[in-house]
Amino acid sequence: MHSIVYDEINDEYTVPQPFAQALLTFRGGASGEEAPIRIIQGPHTELAEPDRLAVDNINNEIYVPLDLDKKILVFPRGVGGDVAPIRVLKGPDTTIGAEAVAIDTVHNLLVATGVGDDGLKLRIFNRTASGNTKPLRLIGGKNSRFGRLGGPIAVYSPKGWIIATVRGPGALASEEAFMGIWSVMDDGDVPPRWTIGGPKGVFRMPRGVAIDAKNKSIIASDKRLNSVLTFYFPEAF
Amino acid sequence: MLMPKRGLRMRSGLWLIGVVLGLVGGWLMTTGESSPRQLVRASEAALRRPAGAPQLLAREPLPALMDGPMCEWTPASAEETLLAALQERQAAREASLESSRALDRTVDRSDLRPVRAIKDPYAAYSSVAVDPKNNEVVMTDENLFQILVYDRTANTPPTAKMTEPKRIISGENTKIEFQCGLYIDPESGDIYAVNNDTVDTLVIFSRQAKGNVPADRELRTPHGTFGIAVDEDAQEMFLTTQHDNTVTVFKKLAKGEEAPVRLLQGNQTRLADPHGLAIDTKNQLMFVTNHGSYHQKVVGGQASITYVGGLASTAAAGKANWPIGTQEPGSGQYLSPSITIYPLKASGDTPPLRVITGPKTQMNWPTGLAADVERGELYVANDMGDSILVFDVTANGDVAPKRVLKGPKTMLKNPTGLWLDHQNGELWAANFGNHTATVYKIGASGDTAPLRMIRSGPLEEPALGIGNPHPVAYDSKREEILVPN
Repeated sequence: MHSIVYDEINDEYTVPQPFAQALLTFRGGASGEEAPIRIIQGPHTELAEPDRLAVDNINNEIYVPLDLDKKILVFPRGVGGDVAPIRVLKGPDTTIGAEAVAIDTVHNLLVATGVGDDGLKLRIFNRTASGNTKPLRLIGGKNSRFGRLGGPIAVYSPKGWIIATVRGPGALASEEAFMGIWSVMDDGDVPPRWTIGGPKGVFRMPRGVAIDAKNKSIIASDKRLNSVLTFYFPEAF
Repeated sequence: MLMPKRGLRMRSGLWLIGVVLGLVGGWLMTTGESSPRQLVRASEAALRRPAGAPQLLAREPLPALMDGPMCEWTPASAEETLLAALQERQAAREASLESSRALDRTVDRSDLRPVRAIKDPYAAYSSVAVDPKNNEVVMTDENLFQILVYDRTANTPPTAKMTEPKRIISGENTKIEFQCGLYIDPESGDIYAVNNDTVDTLVIFSRQAKGNVPADRELRTPHGTFGIAVDEDAQEMFLTTQHDNTVTVFKKLAKGEEAPVRLLQGNQTRLADPHGLAIDTKNQLMFVTNHGSYHQKVVGGQASITYVGGLASTAAAGKANWPIGTQEPGSGQYLSPSITIYPLKASGDTPPLRVITGPKTQMNWPTGLAADVERGELYVANDMGDSILVFDVTANGDVAPKRVLKGPKTMLKNPTGLWLDHQNGELWAANFGNHTATVYKIGASGDTAPLRMIRSGPLEEPALGIGNPHPVAYDSKREEILVPN
């Protein structure tokens, strides 16, 4: 399972299930054999190997990047069943790589990342972009240090920070791994504002990130360490 | 001549006032409050008399810091003005960000250490296999990425923290990571260890291997390989793959980029997130446990992608008998957990001969699987049921197990691997949920304590169950971290 999003307004969390091509939403605090409260699954969904997702609890939408098809499906949050996407972002002008996605609800932006036509980049769109739409901005290149995405990304909307892990060149682990923070306003080959926990730091193979704004902390998993790390980082909040 | 009394009092009062003024003036000068105007004000204040009503005693201008947008008064109706102010502030912020970017400077916090780390310090056994020839038991550890070898008869004393393995294979050179299947060559003692979905490589070690050593042999496998069984007569190796719903068969001694010799895959096979695998060479049958998550493949779709060093690779695309990867969009379903039974040499889109499935079976994430051909029994490590289920090999449909090993005395907790040691008449379970491997007599049933137990950590220490933590989320309401595996 390569994605999980907690919705603090509705007290729910949602995960993609790639083997059964489903999006599962559980009530917050669910435990044991408790069934999901909603399942999006079926022929109209167009879901194929959904691996990651983002949930926008302000605009009540779920975003699912499908990297093999280079597209992002958008579903309404709060409904289940065999529902069709309400928007699809796809087309050559998007240059999209759809490995991971996150939403900036303050600046009304969609941040997508993956290997697209022009390589691995962070691509920033209007949140409601649809069809064959060009990104507003691209972040990528040598100076950006954005390479070999580690896992799901996060956006801290009040400040417009994009938080992503970079796994480094190693097959199983790398000393060059780190967590980086860029801005949704960045454009081009611009360096991250911060590099955290590496290179040559604690990380070996970082993956996903989560934000604890109340405690000014960023939480990250590391596959090679097989552990979950919490960093106190007030600078970003 | 004496001063009149009244005149004396007046002169004393004036003198006193002068002293006070002098003192005040001196204080003002020493504290820096020495401007003439201020001194005049102080003097006036000193001479003021109570008037029975509030009096303005002094006036000081506000410091310049207080002027500015934060305190700038805007009329109540000035929505546009507020918006303009916000936009102006945003522009200022962006300009600030621009300027920091222009400096081309990244603030390096690579040295930042986490304030907390969630990690299990003990091995988590995920699969088990016995080498009766050398009287050893081998286990995979999906937490610390190890292959651990113990004496077969080891039994951790209750007061001991753990049992030390006699041999450990571990380290980046080994390519051992999240391993879930084991096979021991009965002649050579070679260890076949299956990596799941983070390393698309089967690694084989000789029984002399220890430490951080490369495997003696490697084989590129499809993504998400889980269970393994070997037909020694035919010298063939069977592997299940979760992601593409297959049983992929290689030559037993295959290595490198060698192609499979046979592939069981297709929308008729009813393979649905297959895990454990067992074979019956006597009756020429193959048994597979399925968790139930199902989707259809596109007939003629693209070859399944493998990952080399974390990068997607289509290098296997041209190989014969390589799984199809392309999913049919919107075809996903949740099927009941099951055991599907096929002819041993089944290939292509072959439907199962029989399917054991339904609520009576008690199956709940059936994982490890072993077949006792002589007794005609199938043993299932029932992960979420904390049990071992035993079925007749001829079972079909919604049938209850003929025997269930379950209960607190058994110490079974999320068993994911099991092994039948026919030579010694014993049944082994690798328990991912409590740092133990437990041993029973074949035929044990009910709430039966194990004959022996090997522990990798103290009994009272919780097993965290972390295996490949990928995403994380923060539940701000409960202040909890959510970690799917």
